[in-house]
Amino acid sequence: MTRLERLTIALLWVVGGFTFMVLYAPALIVILFSFFAMKNHQIDWSNFSLEWYGRLADNSQLLAALYNSIVVGICAVVSATIISLALAYYMKTGVRRGRAYVEFIIFLPFVLPAIITGISLLVAFREIGLERSLITVTIGHIVLILAVVYRMVTIRLDTLENSQIEASLDLGANGLETFLYVVLPQLRSALLTSSLLAFALSFDETLVTFFLVGGETTLPMRLWAMMRTGFTPEINALVSVVLCVTLLFAALGAMSLRESIERKP
Amino acid sequence: MMTVVSAELADTSVGPPRWLASPGKIVVRLLVYGVPTVMILAPLMSFLAYSFLEQKDNIVTGHLTLANYAAFFQSGSYLYVFFGTVKLAFVVATVALFLGYIISYLIWRLEGSTRYLLLLLSALPLVMNYVVKIYAMRSILGFNGFLNSFLMASGIINAPSKLFIFNQTAVMLAMAVIYLPFGILPIFLALERIPQSLLSAAADLGAKPGQIFLTVILPLSLPGSIAGALFVMVIALGDYLTPQMVGGSEGFTFGRAIWSQFGMAFNWPFGAALAVVLLVTVIALIGLASLIARKARLG
Repeated sequence: MTRLERLTIALLWVVGGFTFMVLYAPALIVILFSFFAMKNHQIDWSNFSLEWYGRLADNSQLLAALYNSIVVGICAVVSATIISLALAYYMKTGVRRGRAYVEFIIFLPFVLPAIITGISLLVAFREIGLERSLITVTIGHIVLILAVVYRMVTIRLDTLENSQIEASLDLGANGLETFLYVVLPQLRSALLTSSLLAFALSFDETLVTFFLVGGETTLPMRLWAMMRTGFTPEINALVSVVLCVTLLFAALGAMSLRESIERKP
Repeated sequence: MMTVVSAELADTSVGPPRWLASPGKIVVRLLVYGVPTVMILAPLMSFLAYSFLEQKDNIVTGHLTLANYAAFFQSGSYLYVFFGTVKLAFVVATVALFLGYIISYLIWRLEGSTRYLLLLLSALPLVMNYVVKIYAMRSILGFNGFLNSFLMASGIINAPSKLFIFNQTAVMLAMAVIYLPFGILPIFLALERIPQSLLSAAADLGAKPGQIFLTVILPLSLPGSIAGALFVMVIALGDYLTPQMVGGSEGFTFGRAIWSQFGMAFNWPFGAALAVVLLVTVIALIGLASLIARKARLG
């Protein structure tokens, strides 16, 4: 490398490093704020405390929203996984002329802006007279995460030899038994990864949920409402907790993803 | 690719022909094609239909009309907001392309575990809570925010500036930070697709690293990178919460205009028509992106 090239790369690292800093600045600043009190819009560095974390536990609205988010997430992930498994297995066991159609539809909510999906579901729910509630939120989340779960299941299913399924059928197992004892065990790590990822997406979902939420809210909705009505330091504490939990989930997902890559034949 | 025909043969070799399927199979087929249709396509269709409905005195009459679209195309303010938002999303996408390319290129040059770690670090902000990120951006950009304190402490400005909050610049900065990670991954993948043999060949033939970058790496990775940036533009176009949080009244965007029709203004048919305008724009962008990506793969 010439000196000029080395200099260019060094300069790029400076820009890259700065960009990384900017990417992480929001999270770091919030976490920092959560340990200190504010005085006249300035951080009071002398007062390190966990007070805001303590107050969180008393905020029953917040805890209810957290509980709702977890329930919605689990329901959405389980439903989306069942639908994806059924669809993917159906597509695997034969030449299906409708495959392109189904996959196109499933991927639509993933590609289109969330606001479009949100309005579509809102209009549809009103047409069939379904009141906005956590049920409509869950349906919205299923629609959104279906693409991710289906994709990951299909990728793993495609690496599966058809001969395994044929052998199982030849040896007298019916379709259901073949699926349960031959196919499903091999999908375990793919399902774990997709579930973690899908749950993280659902837990964070805001732009679609906004159109579908009724009286009971999920955590991002609650957070949004709290931020609109006024910034209290508790928000920083809560946000830090949420950040750590999602990062934990992401780390778990990344680990299981690596595992499933390494296990691939 | 392995063939799937044999499984189908095993499936149908016994029993009646395919079209005379058993009731069970009909039910399965209905479910397989029906569930995605009912859950995704039908709502999308009803939303499209809604944009052609007439609303009078806050009541949807059920008559078909083009008035909602006419209202958009004839109103200067909505058109102004629309083009302003397209411009905003374009700037955000350009920033994502530029900075995303630099980061992806640096990571791509690395080897071993540092490479994996930095790639993971650049994707990690994707799973940070979205509302949290906007909130944090507001506490950074705000009048009493981190950026102003920093600029004042370093002596660049004397008094807190209002340049960074509650205007279009604030929305642009916040979106650029929030949506940049969406750009990094596609750009990195575009770089990964360049065959190693081409780089070795260029080096063997005497090209210097700078020449290799300009004549091999950049032309081969740019189309995929632009496709990634267009994806960022699509996301930025539809965002309606970031502008609400950091944009104030000056940072009004098209997404907010749509949102307000479903909230306070309560004119769903008009809101649906605005959303269809957004949808058409987005489809055009996605079409452009896939065209560029396909051309890159063939060329």
